[in-house]
Amino acid sequence: MDAERTASPRGESSHSPRDAALGCAVDTLREALAPAVLLVQALPIDDTCVTLEPAQLVPAVHVLIHQCGLYHLSAITADDTGDGISLLYHFWDGHGLTLRTVLPAEQPVIATLTDLIPGASFYEREAAEMLGVTFEGAAPAGPLLLPDDWDGPPPLLRSAPEQEAAP
Amino acid sequence: MSRMTIPIGPQHPALKEPLCFMLTLEGEQVVESALRLGYVHRGLERLCQQRNYIQNVHLVERVCGICSHTHTTTYCQAVETLLGLELTRRAQYVRTLMCELERIHSHLLWLGVLAEHIGFTTVFMYAWRDREIVLDIMEALSGGRVAHAVNTIGGVRVDLDAARARSILAQLAELERQMDVFLGVIEHERTFRARTRGVGHLSPEQVRQYCVVGPVARASGISVDLRRDAPYLVYDELDFEVITAEGGDVLARTQVRVLETLESLGMCRQLLEGLPESPLATRAPRRVPAGEVVSRCEAPRGELLYYMRSDGSDRPARVKVRTPTLTALITLPDQLRGVNTADVPTVLAGVDLCIACADR
Repeated sequence: MDAERTASPRGESSHSPRDAALGCAVDTLREALAPAVLLVQALPIDDTCVTLEPAQLVPAVHVLIHQCGLYHLSAITADDTGDGISLLYHFWDGHGLTLRTVLPAEQPVIATLTDLIPGASFYEREAAEMLGVTFEGAAPAGPLLLPDDWDGPPPLLRSAPEQEAAP
Repeated sequence: MSRMTIPIGPQHPALKEPLCFMLTLEGEQVVESALRLGYVHRGLERLCQQRNYIQNVHLVERVCGICSHTHTTTYCQAVETLLGLELTRRAQYVRTLMCELERIHSHLLWLGVLAEHIGFTTVFMYAWRDREIVLDIMEALSGGRVAHAVNTIGGVRVDLDAARARSILAQLAELERQMDVFLGVIEHERTFRARTRGVGHLSPEQVRQYCVVGPVARASGISVDLRRDAPYLVYDELDFEVITAEGGDVLARTQVRVLETLESLGMCRQLLEGLPESPLATRAPRRVPAGEVVSRCEAPRGELLYYMRSDGSDRPARVKVRTPTLTALITLPDQLRGVNTADVPTVLAGVDLCIACADR
């Protein structure tokens, strides 16, 4: 389980302060949350993926923001992999850092990040609509992308039927 | 004073794309606003899972009608990374050239839209007239004005000879001369400055909190640009400045975008003058090895992210698209708070919204 930062083809040398920040981030996460960091792996292109227990997500983001100054959340990907719902929180600061956590498909519930990162709200609402993830503590809001009268299952779940294209 | 809530949209008086705002007004001032997306949601992420990798190139080109080339660039970069394909030099140059031409097109289009919304029809006409120059270039190169189909997995599909490169250089020189008009407007035109200064203000702190990207972030003094900070294609070989401004308002965003257009013109010149000789594309297999990739590019509106997971078949198992407009939309309630009703279109136009991108 070594943090193998693969040699990046993208001229890392010119961004040393940011490199340091990111190296700090992975090390600090390990120190602060030792048993909860399940796996650290390189993710192309130029990203490091840290897998965590769902309960450790908010503490981990707290560490990233307050100890490492890493505050830019690019996106949240929710993905129904067949072994539960994966949530990937893509951070970026010159290089990528992705926090991954896997929720059980029967009851995908996780704490909201919007208290720490207000910019996470649209990404969480999208994951809620498209894959049925519940973000505890998020402000209640109507649908963002789906129609008001949508009564099907969350459309990005594997179990959701494929829609025929309109003629 | 009594409050009044007015729905604006989805068929929008200010924007050409559907978006719904509930504006709560107190007299002339906006006190609260709520936003509803989804009127052009096409389920593109799911559609990507139902098509093979090469079909998806044409599908993701249609996420957006303005930054279509950046979408295929980010998508192809993800697939090529999973395949371990190295692009030829010429393919990288042509791809980068189209990215910068598209940025010029996008910024000029935006300038026209903003000018129209503040009632400055002359600049609207000039900006869109001059945008035709860059659209002509892209049409001559690819056959399409906005959907270019230049990218393919493993390279590009169009080429240009020395005569074409010379004629593009002449067209770009003409466009560069025209840019003086817009620089003059930003610096000296009193009405334009009065309508945009202090409007739609975002502080650097708000930019950080909302994770805003691109020209909107740079106009609030945050110097961030993937072309410099995480260079892809051949950006690390090009000489350019990352433009920032301190104002954080629509005026600063105009300054940033107009100066960025000039930087992009300079980049296009460097690319055309240094175009290397090599084949255009490498052959790509249909099946993609299992794996995951996070691909980022600097679209005209800022960081564009594609996450892709492959299960080893000829179709992606998951494609996630995060477009830069989403980061700008989320700031709108803050930007609109306290502005006059007459300035609402200026605020909306100022962030350069692409609703098709946001809805996907």
